[in-house]
Amino acid sequence: MFHWLEKNPFAFAVVVIVTIAFAGLVEIVPHFAQQARPVIGTTPYTTLELAGRHVYIKNSCNACHSQLIRPFKSETDRYGHYSLSGEYAYDRPFLWGSKRTGPDLMRVGNYRTTDWHENHMKDPASVVPGSIMPAYTWMFTNEADIDTAYAEQVTVADFFGVPYNEPIPMKDGSTKIIKMGSDVAEARAMALAEAKLIAQDMKDQDVKDAVANGKIPEIVAIIAYMNGLH
Amino acid sequence: MSIAELQSYGYIVALVFLSVALYAYIYHLYVQRKDSDGHDYEDYSNMALKDDITDTPVSEKSKKK
Amino acid sequence: MEDRPLEYDYSVTRLFLIFAIFLGITGMLVGVLLAWQMAYPGVNTFLGEGLAEYTNFSRLRPLHTNAIIYGFVLSSVWASWYYVGQRVLKVSMAESKTLMILGKVHFWLYFGAAFVIVVSLLAGVTTSKEYSEFEWPLDLGITVIWLLWGCGIAGLIAIRREKTLYISIWYYIATFLAVAMLHLFNNLEIPTYFASGGVGAWYHSVSMYAGTNDALVQWWFGHNAVAFVLTTPIIAMIYYFLPKESGQAIYSYKLSLLSFWGLMFVYLWAGGHHLLYSTVPDWVQTMGSVFSVILILPSWGSAINMLLTMKGEWQQVAASPLIKFMILGSTFYMFSTLEGPIQAIKSVNAIAHFTDWIVGHVHDGALGWVGFMVIAAIYHMAPRLFKREIYSKSLMATQFWIQTLGIVLYFTSMWIAGITQGMMWRAHDQFGNLAYSFIDTVTVLHPYYTIRAVGGTLYLIGFIMFAYNIYKTTTARPVEESELQNASPMGA
Repeated sequence: MFHWLEKNPFAFAVVVIVTIAFAGLVEIVPHFAQQARPVIGTTPYTTLELAGRHVYIKNSCNACHSQLIRPFKSETDRYGHYSLSGEYAYDRPFLWGSKRTGPDLMRVGNYRTTDWHENHMKDPASVVPGSIMPAYTWMFTNEADIDTAYAEQVTVADFFGVPYNEPIPMKDGSTKIIKMGSDVAEARAMALAEAKLIAQDMKDQDVKDAVANGKIPEIVAIIAYMNGLH
Repeated sequence: MSIAELQSYGYIVALVFLSVALYAYIYHLYVQRKDSDGHDYEDYSNMALKDDITDTPVSEKSKKK
Repeated sequence: MEDRPLEYDYSVTRLFLIFAIFLGITGMLVGVLLAWQMAYPGVNTFLGEGLAEYTNFSRLRPLHTNAIIYGFVLSSVWASWYYVGQRVLKVSMAESKTLMILGKVHFWLYFGAAFVIVVSLLAGVTTSKEYSEFEWPLDLGITVIWLLWGCGIAGLIAIRREKTLYISIWYYIATFLAVAMLHLFNNLEIPTYFASGGVGAWYHSVSMYAGTNDALVQWWFGHNAVAFVLTTPIIAMIYYFLPKESGQAIYSYKLSLLSFWGLMFVYLWAGGHHLLYSTVPDWVQTMGSVFSVILILPSWGSAINMLLTMKGEWQQVAASPLIKFMILGSTFYMFSTLEGPIQAIKSVNAIAHFTDWIVGHVHDGALGWVGFMVIAAIYHMAPRLFKREIYSKSLMATQFWIQTLGIVLYFTSMWIAGITQGMMWRAHDQFGNLAYSFIDTVTVLHPYYTIRAVGGTLYLIGFIMFAYNIYKTTTARPVEESELQNASPMGA
């Protein structure tokens, strides 16, 4: 039966590809018929938050922190409501992670503050004694890449219809609009305005000065991102 | 008939078909010593053992071109 | 045509083999560094505060995984392909100029890409998708390199003398096809620079899939990239090297047919086991779990076939450290293909997921099965590539025992660490409150992290001994062609 295939490499290759593609066809393709539908209250990222998300990715935070709360009492007690599929509708890429060397961050914005993050990123063990997380001091000096974040916003709005500048229904029945700049200059200005609000709650004088001078250090962006995780 | 119902029937049919195919294949291999070219299956192991470039191939590729 | 007798041409094999050893040392060194960083966080700044950004755990972690999987392992797989492929098809690469050129371009492009990847990962240019961290320009480059290999396979098969494809060739073909498919679909992404009309970083891209769909595609890829880089080509290697080195025919050619088609059909379904209790549909999770358990059958089919190949010849295992590597490798394969399905059972996964047990599982496979099999393959090829005996048998035996000890320390400590952590996360006191804060579950792991780091260090020491042994082999006593028939010649 099958020995014929081993003598006919082309037929062999075709049969192998059919056999291995089968699972993908059955398991994955059906899901693409349905677009990811956001749950009520899920909003796309602002320019600054998205730049912060890029800082998160750049430093592989997802190597040690998950963003996926499983439906167990121990997890909902610790991290909050379990994850819903629609909450990830604007996550490209997804950042579920595969290892919890540190705690889950899915809803970290609910229980940590700007101030806490600032101290923690500078010296984790001073905030959480015994922590094995390294310090991320370079985030206080490196500048966040606002332009790339804006480019990504434009891309997802164009290609995937992410609703920027449109009213989005919230849980309490109101609506909210997440604005996106009409050009790079406006996007930068909007990000800076948001960064100033964050910098107000920070203590690091160099960061405050940088923001006052129109620069946005990575730390400000990543704090904006983490504060937005609910 | 709903999609879910179709899926379930499809699942059962696929399951039965694949199980039958698998066991038939195992049985086929078990009873058959030689393949249709008359080679004992186990002779093919010699492709690894006698693999110098001067060794005779187990099943020579017909010389055309 | 020259008038000297036709010989197999190993020039491409040699390049890949040397680069594999170099990448192996690099990847393992980074791994050992990461292990010590988890035990002693001070190691994160071992080159000083100024360079902390580049010596920090989170930047180095993707470098470790990629250097091992796509560096060390893939380079060894290609070294073995350019060796085994010629031999079982009974055709020399020297017979076709095109194939020689393809092979060399394949190597040098790969060599160049490896350096670009190291630099880009250190700079933090990543898509965050595990084992697929590269941004779109590198994805394109990888596609080209992969296709070059594919052309090499097709070309060699086209001019073969042996009509029937040997078992190893099936697995190489499957590796090529599956990884090509997975790579293409997982890396569908839109470069933002072009989509937005020239704003921001040119290399940045955004995934075509969002959230749960992205996760589904990523773990369909993630699970199977592991399968088709760390499993199928390694099976290809053992199906050739074990019979050849021991002089024993494969125990059952029929069983190998059955395991091959079984593995092809079942493997791709199992990706869902990375997403248990997540937001992907329940039926995908169940499929992932069930197929993971079914996967034991074809995996054990291959492993048992290997062990039974030694039937009646077990004295060789005692006598030859080279055979020891392969037999222990097969044993570790059986072990990790049993452990994996156990972890894929939903109730076990509830405890095991996100813990160090998973890390332990990956490493039994990577260190025990893949590492040992690659080492054995290189030891077998080296005397034939350089026409010299292996420099030292006793060094090889010492290496074997040091590395085995390293693996045992590694997986035992990670089992304990993973289960401890999983149980502590879910523990409640009598009032129904969480019994431990998160940091309690971190500090408790310190001894296990230290043991793991020691285990990893031992494995690295063994690997450096291996590199030294291979290096000295290039200047060892020359041997006759006839001595190379089966068992590899070894010096004291």
